[in-house]
Amino acid sequence: MIMVDHLTKTYGGFTAVDDVSFTARRGRVTGFLGPNGAGKTTTMRIMVGLTPATSGSVRIGGRDYRDIPNPGLHVGVLLDASAQHAGRTGREVLMIGARTMGLPDSRVDKMLELVSLTPDESKRRVRNYSLGMRQRLGIAHALLGDPSVLILDEPANGLDPAGIRWMRRLLKSYADQGGTVLLSSHLLNEVELIADEMILIGRGTIVASGTKESLLSGEATSTLVHSEDNDALGRQLAAAGHTVSVEAGGLRVDCDSPTVGRAALEAQVVLTELRSGAAGLEDLFLSLTEDTQREGHPAAATAQGGTA
Amino acid sequence: MTTTDASSELLDVSGTPAVPFTRLVAVEVRKALDTRAGRWFSASIVLLSLAVVVIYAFAAPEDSRDFSDVIGVAGAVLGYFLPILLILMVTSEWSQRTGLTTFTLEPHRGRVVGAKLVGGLLLGAALILVAMAVAAVGTLIGGGGWSITADVLVKGFLVANLIAILTGFAIGMLLMNSPAAIVTYFIYSLVLPIAVGVLGSFQDWFADLAPWIEFNTAQGLMFQADGMPSGEVLAQLLVSGTIWLVVPFALGLLRLLRAEPK
Ligand SMILES: Nc1ncnc2c1ncn2[C@@H]1O[C@H](COP(=O)(O)OP(=O)(O)O)[C@@H](O)[C@H]1O
Ligand SMILES: [Mg+2]
Repeated sequence: MIMVDHLTKTYGGFTAVDDVSFTARRGRVTGFLGPNGAGKTTTMRIMVGLTPATSGSVRIGGRDYRDIPNPGLHVGVLLDASAQHAGRTGREVLMIGARTMGLPDSRVDKMLELVSLTPDESKRRVRNYSLGMRQRLGIAHALLGDPSVLILDEPANGLDPAGIRWMRRLLKSYADQGGTVLLSSHLLNEVELIADEMILIGRGTIVASGTKESLLSGEATSTLVHSEDNDALGRQLAAAGHTVSVEAGGLRVDCDSPTVGRAALEAQVVLTELRSGAAGLEDLFLSLTEDTQREGHPAAATAQGGTA
Repeated sequence: MTTTDASSELLDVSGTPAVPFTRLVAVEVRKALDTRAGRWFSASIVLLSLAVVVIYAFAAPEDSRDFSDVIGVAGAVLGYFLPILLILMVTSEWSQRTGLTTFTLEPHRGRVVGAKLVGGLLLGAALILVAMAVAAVGTLIGGGGWSITADVLVKGFLVANLIAILTGFAIGMLLMNSPAAIVTYFIYSLVLPIAVGVLGSFQDWFADLAPWIEFNTAQGLMFQADGMPSGEVLAQLLVSGTIWLVVPFALGLLRLLRAEPK
């Protein structure tokens, strides 16, 4: 378990991480999500003692990272897959890790196989690796010591779609076996499918956290519907006391889809399209971190305006 | 939602001892030699000293081809390049960004620094042995005698190389950047003594002052002296060594222990 407690990090007058608190639990994948420069990497660096916190603390399994003996056996860390000696072979990078942790060389081959780096590729120098290959090597390195806690900074970066799917399954099964997985990303869709819990960070502060469901539960129910007779359907729905507005050639109604379907049946109108009009996670993510974005996001703004 | 009791959220570290220091040393030695650059560099030092020694064996006057002379030549070549090996052991953690991994696997940086120093000394010792073998080859070629005094061995070879190793280590820690550290080292070991020598030849007062404030000059006096250096030379070594080795080493160590590996 990772417990981040009122963590703050300032560089000169600039606050990179601002009073951040959250918990990543055993048996779950926790997604740490935020736009570029939000403070994800800084938070993770503080977790493993590479950067000192200005105030606040992090405990991993109840301990300071520094107080974990042979930490590679307990906490798997991937901070920057490109931070490897360019002149070392991929295999040698893992060998050094294995030797430091006191693991047999066979563990290296096992990890190479796990991340699908072929023996041939593993003998190439890291200089000649693609970003995706470096990422696989970094994941292999993090898993070397069979740790119960994983801290991965943007692990999907540079992976191809098949690689991202593979990683998803890998991390999921890690959590299912009781591991704690914390992974960061600036892309919602990388995290959405695997994270049991999400921490949204923007400009150094946590803007929202919880399960996907709980994050969305605050959103008003809304349905988008297209039919062969929008006027008739609109009247029927309004008569039932729902708020109806015209949107993009269809209607937006403040109730769930079955209710709209039933109204269509009563009004004898043929539906041509029926879907949830609630703002998705992406809109939520964008709106929550809106004032922390580098560019404004008009689409998110209108979607929110529509439901209001 | 999975329910978890508090104890299952704690790491069980009872079965994990800390990484033994000897293992850290072994890893640091491995890291110094497992890249093409590292291997190439170590091999070049040996080959270069061999080349210089062979040339010396042919070119030197008949009465200067003894083992005790040749070993000084081999030692000088080693002494110039050994510090670079030490510099790279320290700076590559920053220049190649491997510090991210190194200091995550062993968050007690003092132990990593200690392991690097011990590993560097072991590597240095191995190269010193090789250089002695090279010197023996040179002596055979030159047909010189084999007599050697402890004085030459200890002062000219061991002390000189130990100082060289520590100097490289200090510069590496202080600058944390491979090219900058190597350039600085050559300025320190090649340009500085020449500049001091030139200045001293114009100004007598500076020539007197030089060994007190310039470590290379003081070391030169130590090597020239027969046997144990005089009290004055020792004092000069102490003063200039504090300025150029002890203080940079301490500052470098402080910097390294605090720096953020990026
Ligand atoms: N050593 C540093 N000195 C000054 N600013 C820094 C330093 N490290 C990070 N920052 C700043 O802190 C902010 C957060 O960075 P980071 O944690 O890398 O964000 P993320 O990983 O979420 O993209 C950025 O604005 C970055 O420029
Ligand atoms: Mg980052």
